[in-house]
Amino acid sequence: MSPTGGRPTATRGVFAIEEQALVLPDPIALDTSFVVEALLSTQPLHAVCDDFLTRIGDSGITVVTSDILAVELAETAFAIALKERWGRHWRGHRTDGRARRPATHLLNDTISRYETLLLSIDHFPVPLADTASVARNFMTSYGIASYDAVHAASAIAADAEAIVTLDTGFALLPASVLTVYTDRSRLASCRKKRPY
Amino acid sequence: MTKAQTNGRPQPLSPERLAELRVPAVYRTPEEKRAALKRATEGLRVKVRVTRDMYRPR
Repeated sequence: MSPTGGRPTATRGVFAIEEQALVLPDPIALDTSFVVEALLSTQPLHAVCDDFLTRIGDSGITVVTSDILAVELAETAFAIALKERWGRHWRGHRTDGRARRPATHLLNDTISRYETLLLSIDHFPVPLADTASVARNFMTSYGIASYDAVHAASAIAADAEAIVTLDTGFALLPASVLTVYTDRSRLASCRKKRPY
Repeated sequence: MTKAQTNGRPQPLSPERLAELRVPAVYRTPEEKRAALKRATEGLRVKVRVTRDMYRPR
């Protein structure tokens, strides 16, 4: 049966989080791309991700995250501060101290919000050490990028059927390994990437 | 952990290990949960658009 409960279609294990009939498996994994979009009001898919996060909270299901998610959030905040200060040349100013104060403020705010989010949902935080061998196997078997492989391996470690992500790279895994929940605009791209 | 099931999906961690990892929510009522999620997701505005390459190497 498809996660929407209807007739099976050529979904290739990829479903849209905007679909209200979408069944939420328990547990469900969250990728950094989804959390970034949910936390930052100025992101284009903020409303979609915020709504889906509310659905997760209301349903009482457990979420799975990798330990690297918080590190990636911190990196996001740092990069935002640099980009706000230096524009498109931000990468060349990483060691410039002038962006560190706003970076620290934004980083603390972002992590605090992430922690508040987790206080409202039952949670499996999966350490990197519990995922390393499966992540390596995903990389060599399917060509998935390293950080994506760690998030996917974290989902598997906690027996999550699906991961919520805005990153089409997760579709490099077969549908039998991990279902992808993404936004509507990425459905076709994800389905095209599925190996089988 | 690395042993694959017949569908190619690796085995999850043991129930004992998962029980160790589990962190229950602090906020338990629907109202508390919604309020906490709202605090987490409302009002954080930045002047640039965040793209994947800002937190993860391709």
